[in-house]
Amino acid sequence: MSVIPVTVLTGYLGAGKTTLLNRILSEPHGKRFAVIVNEFGEIGIDNELVVGADEEVFEMNNGCICCTVRGDLIRIINGLLKRKGGFDGILIETTGLADPAPVAQTFFVDPDVSTRTRLDAIVTVADAGHLERRLDDSHEAQEQVAFADVVLLNKTDLVDEAVLAALERRIRTMNPFARIVRTQRCAVPLDHVLGLGAFDLDRVLAMEPDFLGEDDHEHDQSVTGVSLSEDRPLDPAAFDLWFRTLINVRGTDLLRYKGILSLRGSNRRTVVQGVHMLADSGNLSPWPEGAPRTSRFVLIGRNLDADALRAGFAACAAS
Amino acid sequence: MSVRERRWDTDAYVVALAVNRAGSHAAAALGDGTVRLIDPADDGAPPAVVAAHGGACLALARDGDGAGFLSGGDDGRLCRIAPGRAPETLAEVPGRWIEHVDAEPHGGLRAFAAGRQVHLLDPAGRPRETMADHPATVAGLAFSPNGKRLAVARYGGVSLWWTARPGPPATLEWKGSHLGVLWHPEGTHVMTTLQENGLHGWRLRDRADLMMSGYPTKVRSMAWTARGRHLATGGAESVVCWPFFGGGPWDRAPLQPAGAGAGLVTAVAPHPREPVVAAGYDDGTVIITPLDGTAAVAVARPEGAPVSALAWSGDGRYLLFGTEAGRLSCLPVPARGPTGGG
Repeated sequence: MSVIPVTVLTGYLGAGKTTLLNRILSEPHGKRFAVIVNEFGEIGIDNELVVGADEEVFEMNNGCICCTVRGDLIRIINGLLKRKGGFDGILIETTGLADPAPVAQTFFVDPDVSTRTRLDAIVTVADAGHLERRLDDSHEAQEQVAFADVVLLNKTDLVDEAVLAALERRIRTMNPFARIVRTQRCAVPLDHVLGLGAFDLDRVLAMEPDFLGEDDHEHDQSVTGVSLSEDRPLDPAAFDLWFRTLINVRGTDLLRYKGILSLRGSNRRTVVQGVHMLADSGNLSPWPEGAPRTSRFVLIGRNLDADALRAGFAACAAS
Repeated sequence: MSVRERRWDTDAYVVALAVNRAGSHAAAALGDGTVRLIDPADDGAPPAVVAAHGGACLALARDGDGAGFLSGGDDGRLCRIAPGRAPETLAEVPGRWIEHVDAEPHGGLRAFAAGRQVHLLDPAGRPRETMADHPATVAGLAFSPNGKRLAVARYGGVSLWWTARPGPPATLEWKGSHLGVLWHPEGTHVMTTLQENGLHGWRLRDRADLMMSGYPTKVRSMAWTARGRHLATGGAESVVCWPFFGGGPWDRAPLQPAGAGAGLVTAVAPHPREPVVAAGYDDGTVIITPLDGTAAVAVARPEGAPVSALAWSGDGRYLLFGTEAGRLSCLPVPARGPTGGG
């Protein structure tokens, strides 16, 4: 049974989500998409399979306080999967005020959804003219940038180069994974937003986080990316304890993380990625012959204590 | 074993199976919007194909009379389907999906859900009442066995409405998302399946809670064995049967009759009279397993796609099952013999 890719489009009100959605749908790619939208009926979307969603965020009754899912998405995706003929992908447009975490967690938590679909990427559309202010005053706008695999810095024609460069630096400090694409009217090649496999473990291996120096945190912002690296192999038990404790204690503040680890006694690259307390890991291909086995772990979160994280990660190698 | 299995490859997800109250016909609701009507005893005739819905069928229940069925679809329509008759649209809610339907035989009432609302129709199909103040989208509904109450499952618990008089519902609260809902045949307990891997339930006399956990996956199917002695459930490697007699299910271990050996149970259907349960698996296997601990009999080999619907004919002589890939089968099962019945 084929696994259907799902792309989540987020972004603040008026940033251009619907423009991007219509652009994806109107390109001559020959693919059929099911589209799940909010504020159904208020926007024109030219597609036969459009379903309105209600953004019902449900807490999971599993003792994990930050584990929420979108009950409406579970219901709608299970309904769509019953349709004959099917479709090649699902696009989910969230409201401007949506927190992406419950959307992402739905694809980890629900057994039917996780078996039949896979989250391909979270694409965040940002209005270059307003992003600065939104990041200052909106929790949701920060989350949308922090969770993004791709940030479309849209409406670039309305601001000058200095503003764009500053915005890109600010996005970088918050989210070192995200690919930033400058656009006007969301004009973007579709392979920049579809088919990214951003939540696949083997794609983590290609991770090239783009970090600015510590001094670049010119904004006193609460969402930051922290990059850890270690040249000595990590003790598996020590890393496991440190990481479990971290996601149990700080899971609410940890938004996304990805890591490639060299564990003592293993020739394989161990890969970790996750959202809040929901982590996925696997032992992938061996380290390349002769290449340095540097463990790298990148975390995006709120109020992260970079020094404490660095010390904890380094201690996993020392024992 | 089977005299002769009748099999149709429909190429569409078999969403649900039901048998009418007279026991004369079974209906299969499919992902292509059709409902197939099967006369299990007539092995010459192919199923009648009824074009019921524009997209996919999402819900199916037997209607309150002997002959008919109700179906709901992602075209927002509620249809009545009966053998030899054209489908009849009873209600239409544009832009909504109708995912839950039920009917009761005493007053002939029908209920269907659209979003957070439940609509009640009288036997003539006229709107009778709208039950509107649900805190979240309705995830399941079921009339009580005597037809006097309607249980509506949703996030946070179950709302219990009286069907004869309007008024605020009684609520059975429990944290979490409640999906399917089922009444004990004597109206004593209400059970729900959960978003988590387990079940919840309430004994209505004193609102005592029942918590059934420990399942390896989400429970998609539950049904009562004959006379409501056991609640048979999927969601594990074997059927899990909770005893509802002799003080149970509190402090009683569930019965776990023999399984297929691998995979997880996706659909259960207890025989209407005999102490045996049919179980469908996530690889397409179907078994009939006796509750006395003797060996199970495999009646369908794995073909890959999960079993998505399972039902016995009213007389218990035929087992019907369907898969997500569109296999639809009707299998004669002797009353005695491999099932250990009698």
